[in-house]
Amino acid sequence: MDDIQKQALLDVLKSKINRQLLYYLDICARCAICREACHQYAVTKDITYLPAYRAELIRRIYKKNISSVGKIFPRLFEGKEIDDEKLLDELYRAAYACTGCRRCMVYCPFSIDTAWVLSAAKEILNAAGRGNTILGELAGAAIMKGENMDIFRDIIVETLKDSENELQKRLNDPEATIPIDVEGADMLYVALAGTHTIIPAAMIFNKAKKSWTLSLFEAANYGYFLGDSKKAKKISDRIIDEAKRLKVKEIVITECGHAYRVMKFLYEAWAKEKLPFRIRGFVELIAGYVKDGQITLKEGNVKIPVTYHDPCQVGRNAGFYDEPRFIVNSIAEDFRDLNPNKVRNWCCGGGGGLVAMPEFEELRIKTGKLKYEQIKKTGATIVVTPCENCRLQIGNLNEHYGMGIEISSMMDFVADNMVI
Amino acid sequence: MNGFSFFAAGILIYIAVIVFIIGMSCQIVTWVRTPRSSVALGIFPKPKNKGIRFFKLLKDAFVFPHSAEIDPWMWAFAIFFHFALATVLFAHFRLIREFNLLESVIGPESMEKFAAVAGGTMGIILLITIFFYIFRRFFSPYKELSVFEDYFIVFLLIVIIALGDHLRFFAKISVEDYRAYFQSVLMFQPSFPEAIAEKGSKWVLTIHVLFVNIFVMYFPFSKLTHAIGTFAVNTVRSDA
Repeated sequence: MDDIQKQALLDVLKSKINRQLLYYLDICARCAICREACHQYAVTKDITYLPAYRAELIRRIYKKNISSVGKIFPRLFEGKEIDDEKLLDELYRAAYACTGCRRCMVYCPFSIDTAWVLSAAKEILNAAGRGNTILGELAGAAIMKGENMDIFRDIIVETLKDSENELQKRLNDPEATIPIDVEGADMLYVALAGTHTIIPAAMIFNKAKKSWTLSLFEAANYGYFLGDSKKAKKISDRIIDEAKRLKVKEIVITECGHAYRVMKFLYEAWAKEKLPFRIRGFVELIAGYVKDGQITLKEGNVKIPVTYHDPCQVGRNAGFYDEPRFIVNSIAEDFRDLNPNKVRNWCCGGGGGLVAMPEFEELRIKTGKLKYEQIKKTGATIVVTPCENCRLQIGNLNEHYGMGIEISSMMDFVADNMVI
Repeated sequence: MNGFSFFAAGILIYIAVIVFIIGMSCQIVTWVRTPRSSVALGIFPKPKNKGIRFFKLLKDAFVFPHSAEIDPWMWAFAIFFHFALATVLFAHFRLIREFNLLESVIGPESMEKFAAVAGGTMGIILLITIFFYIFRRFFSPYKELSVFEDYFIVFLLIVIIALGDHLRFFAKISVEDYRAYFQSVLMFQPSFPEAIAEKGSKWVLTIHVLFVNIFVMYFPFSKLTHAIGTFAVNTVRSDA
C-alpha cells in the first residue's frame, strides 16, 4: 500500500471519530470483563472475538497514527500502521463476525460499545477494498433496485395480486387489500423480501381497519451490515423518499431488528436531518392494537409451551421487553421466559448479517449453542421472535441440534391466533 | 536533603502536578471539542428522568454492578483495589493536617492506632490486588490483550504500594516528621526534617514519591484517564 492509500484510510478513520468513539478508544482498561459477555468468545475462546480485543485492533491504529502520545511512544500501546496486513486480516474477522448485539456494553464497567468501534473498522475495511464481498453485492443490488424501480414495479404488483387472494381467503373478507402507492395513507409499512411478512401484517392491518400502504422496498439494509454508511443511507433513502412522496404520518418497520435500528436510531445522523414522521416497529404496533381492542386475540389459544427470544435490536437496543411478552402471554397458555432474558439475553448468534455470509456459518452454528441450550432448558416447543435474522439462525440451530421446535414471527403468531 | 531526594521527592512533585493539570486539561478539552455523534448509543431500559439518570451514572461509575454479575472475581478485586486506593489517597491528607474531628472523638492515641490498622489493612489489600492485576496478565486472554502500558502501570503501582507498605510497617517515621516534609513541599522549600534525613528509610520515601510522580505524570496520557473518563463514558450508556 502506498502512502497516498494509507493516508486515505487514515482519513476514513479520522472522519469516523466522534466523542463517543474517543472515549471508547482512550478509556478501555483492558480488564476483559467483557469476555463472557460475548457469545462468540464464550464459546470459542478465540482472542479475535474478545470484545476488548476487537476494539483494541482499532485502538492500535489510533494510537500509532492519531493519538499524540501514541505517535511519540507507539511501543507503549503496540501502535500499528493502518496497512498492517496481519492486523487488517484480524480486523476483518473481528468486525464482520460481530453480530452487533451490544451485550458486551451491558457488562463493561465503562459501557464501551464495541459495535460502535467496529463500525469505524468496517468503514476502513471497505475503503481498503477489504469489505465483505457478499454484503457488498447485496447492498449494490438494493441500490440498483432503487434506481430502477420502474422495472421492478410490475413484478411486485403481479406478486401482490396472488398475496391479496390469499389474504382475502384467510380473512374471509373479499374487500381486504394490500394497498401500494396510496398517497396520504397514515402508515407506510416496510416489509421484507417475499410475502411472509406481508400477508400476516396485511391481515392485522385489515382487521384493525388501518389506513396503510405497502412500501415497494424491503426493510433489510445490507449496507448497514457491510458497514458502509453511504451505501446504507442510499438504501434507506429509497424508503424515506417514498414516505415523503406519499406524505404518510409514520413508517412502520416490519419484524426485522437491524432495519428498525437503522431507521429509528441511525438514519437521522447519517442524513443530518430530522424526519417529518415517526418510526415504529411492528411489535409496538400490534401491542397497541391489542390494548386498544382494535384486534382481539384468542386468549390461551396455544396450549403447548411457548418461549420468547428478545432480538438484540428489539430488546437491548430498542427497549421493547414488555410489549412482546404481553402479546405472547395473551395467546400462550404456558409462556416460559428464557434465562437470561431482556437486556441480558444472549444473542441468537446470527445478527450483524452473519446469516448472509457463508464464511461465518460454522462459527454461527457453533456459537448458537448457547441459544440452543437456553431454549432447550425452557422445554418450549414454539419460539416466537420478531426478527428475521434471529428466525433464520434459530431455524438453522433447530436443524443442526435437532431441537424439534417451531419458530414463529410475532405477526404469524398473532395472525394465526386472532379473532377473524 | 540530598541532591537526588531534592529532585525526586521535591522539585519533581511540582513538575508532576503541572504535567498532570496540563495533560488532563488537554485530554478533557480534546474530548469535549470532538463533536458528539447524534446517535443515541444508550442501552435499554433507559432511566426515566434526569435524577434517576444521574443516580444511575454514579452507580455505574462507582459500583458497576453489571460487571459483578458476569465476572465476580475481577469485579471484587477491582472494587477492593479502588476502594483501598481512594481510602489511602484520602488518608495521606493526615500527613498534611491531623483529622481533628476524628481525633477529638477517639483521642490522639487511638487515632495513631486507627491509622496504623486502617492504613496497614488498606496497604495489604492494595498489595494483594495489584499482584492479582499483574498475575492475570500472564494468562490468556489477558496476555494477548495486554500492551506494554498495562505492565508499565502495574509496575509503577507495585513499587509505589510496596514502598508505601514498607513506610507504614517498618520505617519508624513519625507523623510529625511527615508533616514537616509535606509542609516544606507546600512552602516550595522541599526538605526532609532531621529525623527523616538521618534514617535509611529516606531512600524508601524518596523512591515512593518518585514513582508517584511518574505515575501522576503518566496519568493523563494513558488508560488511567478511565478514573475521570468513566463519568463521561458511562453517561453514554443512558443516552436517549
